[in-house]
Amino acid sequence: MKKISKFNSILFVFSILLGFLIVTQMKQNVESYNLVTLKSIQVTKNEINNAHDEIKEMKSLIEIKKGELKKIEKIKGNSNENIHDVLIEGVEETKAIAGLTDMEGPGIVIKMQDNQDTEIKGVEISDDVIHDMDILMILNDLRVAGAEAISINGQRVMPMSEIKCGGPIVKINGKSLGTPFIIKAIGDPKLLYAAVNAPGTHGYEIKNFNKINVKSNMEDNVFIPGYSGRFKFKHAKPIKEGD
Amino acid sequence: MLFALLGILIGVVVGLILPITYSPTYALYISVAILACLDSVFGGVRANLENTFDTRIFISGFFGNAILAAFLAYIGDRLGVPLYYAAIFAFGGRLFDNFASIRRILLFKRGARKKKEEIKEE
Repeated sequence: MKKISKFNSILFVFSILLGFLIVTQMKQNVESYNLVTLKSIQVTKNEINNAHDEIKEMKSLIEIKKGELKKIEKIKGNSNENIHDVLIEGVEETKAIAGLTDMEGPGIVIKMQDNQDTEIKGVEISDDVIHDMDILMILNDLRVAGAEAISINGQRVMPMSEIKCGGPIVKINGKSLGTPFIIKAIGDPKLLYAAVNAPGTHGYEIKNFNKINVKSNMEDNVFIPGYSGRFKFKHAKPIKEGD
Repeated sequence: MLFALLGILIGVVVGLILPITYSPTYALYISVAILACLDSVFGGVRANLENTFDTRIFISGFFGNAILAAFLAYIGDRLGVPLYYAAIFAFGGRLFDNFASIRRILLFKRGARKKKEEIKEE
């Protein structure tokens, strides 16, 4: 009997210790013991950096919106005439973003012409002609370089503008355009110039391999007309905020 | 057995009341150590039922196994090899072994008693 009671007392004490350990461990709320590899650390770091960048952007956006709100509130206190001006200003800004207004600013002018030589330079004769794909690739390069407004032969390139092959011509905004193509773009002139002339870009390739005449000039003042056609939504419907 | 359950219950209550926390980095080591402790308690109960219980063996096993298991997990972490699996398998296996022995002893004891009673009644 004596031995059993001794055993029980010891067991009792150590069981208390065990229960205590188990509960303190449970209180830690450990979810998983996944092995942490160097790669996963890197991935997590990148995620954190991205999240930080996003937060920064959002904060700056909040600041901008706050400024706008202050402006509107200030006007609200003064008179009714001013609010009219602010609304018109807003409409003008929206129009500019949509590409309905004429734009001016520093940028580049690219002149593209088919190979004018009698001698064929490419493998096929079609290699010596500018195609819709060439224009599309160059447009994309320009957009990557931060082009803010682009026009081709006076046709403003809109978000919905098509660039379609039409045999010897190219159709843009439903209008048929022939060579030479003059692409104008507003943006940082050096960046835009590099987007067409740097090795590896599409402009460089067609210029050097297909011997297509691609001439680009940086200009201080490029004029780009607004979209003159009509655009109507047939299928898409805007969703009102708060719906 | 009853004392063990009662002790764990009291330990749980004490643990809930005391505001003790540690770095989550050590959570893995502690959990492996807990497994070793659990095994020791089961082993103690079994030894008692088999009448081979020794206090020194029990206490040294309780702490020694826990420390060794935690140390193994730590070394594994340093080396990049999940060595704590060794502790988990070893102690987990022994846990079931001990429990199986306890079960058999308890069941057979009762079975034997019943048989004796039956014999007496006859």
